[in-house]
Amino acid sequence: MSLSTSGVLTLVGMTALALALAMFDRRRRGRFRSARHSSAEYVEWQNRLGRHLGQDVTFVQFSSAFCAPCRATRLTLADVAERDPGVAHIEIDAESHLDLVRELNILSTPTTIVLDAKGATVARSVGAPRKDQVLLLVQGIRNSQSSSQ
Amino acid sequence: MSITPRSSQQRNVDARGVRFSASLTALVLAVALVLANPALVVIQGAVFAIGALLGPHRSPYSLLFRRVIAPRLYSPAEPEPIAPPQFAQSVGLLFVLLALVGALLSSPLFVIATGLAFAAALVNAAFGYCLGCQMYLLIARTRRRLIPAK
Repeated sequence: MSLSTSGVLTLVGMTALALALAMFDRRRRGRFRSARHSSAEYVEWQNRLGRHLGQDVTFVQFSSAFCAPCRATRLTLADVAERDPGVAHIEIDAESHLDLVRELNILSTPTTIVLDAKGATVARSVGAPRKDQVLLLVQGIRNSQSSSQ
Repeated sequence: MSITPRSSQQRNVDARGVRFSASLTALVLAVALVLANPALVVIQGAVFAIGALLGPHRSPYSLLFRRVIAPRLYSPAEPEPIAPPQFAQSVGLLFVLLALVGALLSSPLFVIATGLAFAAALVNAAFGYCLGCQMYLLIARTRRRLIPAK
């Protein structure tokens, strides 16, 4: 039984690649990235969705069917919104809002767009965020909003 | 693998079984690569075909899981929707077909396609990666663009 050199090399290479990608992705998943200066994406959320924004922070979650991380995200964000009167959580079915999906360049679900009190985008996150990340972000947005007044 | 009663419309499968199947898949493809053996890839392709057409719970790996492994596990069943794993099986089948074309043409396509299928099975088994979530929206976006909106 002889071993194939190219086969062994491919196996080792693919394993390294897969593990590297998985570990890299794992760190980035769910992390909120600042999006304050992203190109002309001001969306009239209240007009487009007919939903009220949160007093301080709004989490707009794009979900789709058959998406387990979407469910986890929903639980986390809904819990924070319930406990904090200044925070709102809006969940949108991505497939029913492909216009928004294209405008905001959303590539996967869950993607969460974070809005400040005025409805401007301040951050976004791909994947399920942890609750401590969410709470930290809310705190940060509140701090910057109160200091700019 | 499912905890719902047997019905023609299977809506959930056990995530543990999906990951077990991915582990076996990764093993079979790894051996196929190392031995440069297309026959093993054909066998894996047949497993993919059953999973894609009949549902992942009908594949031989899942049957093995249900009969032999699951009864010995302490962890509870983890129901998840059937569509993403079923979709993943058809993607695997596509890669197998490419690999077999590569084998017929004696081209590096064989190791590349087999290697990629192996990598996908590996991250599925090791990290429970939700590839269906990633691809589902991209496909929906593309489909709407190709088919003019009414």
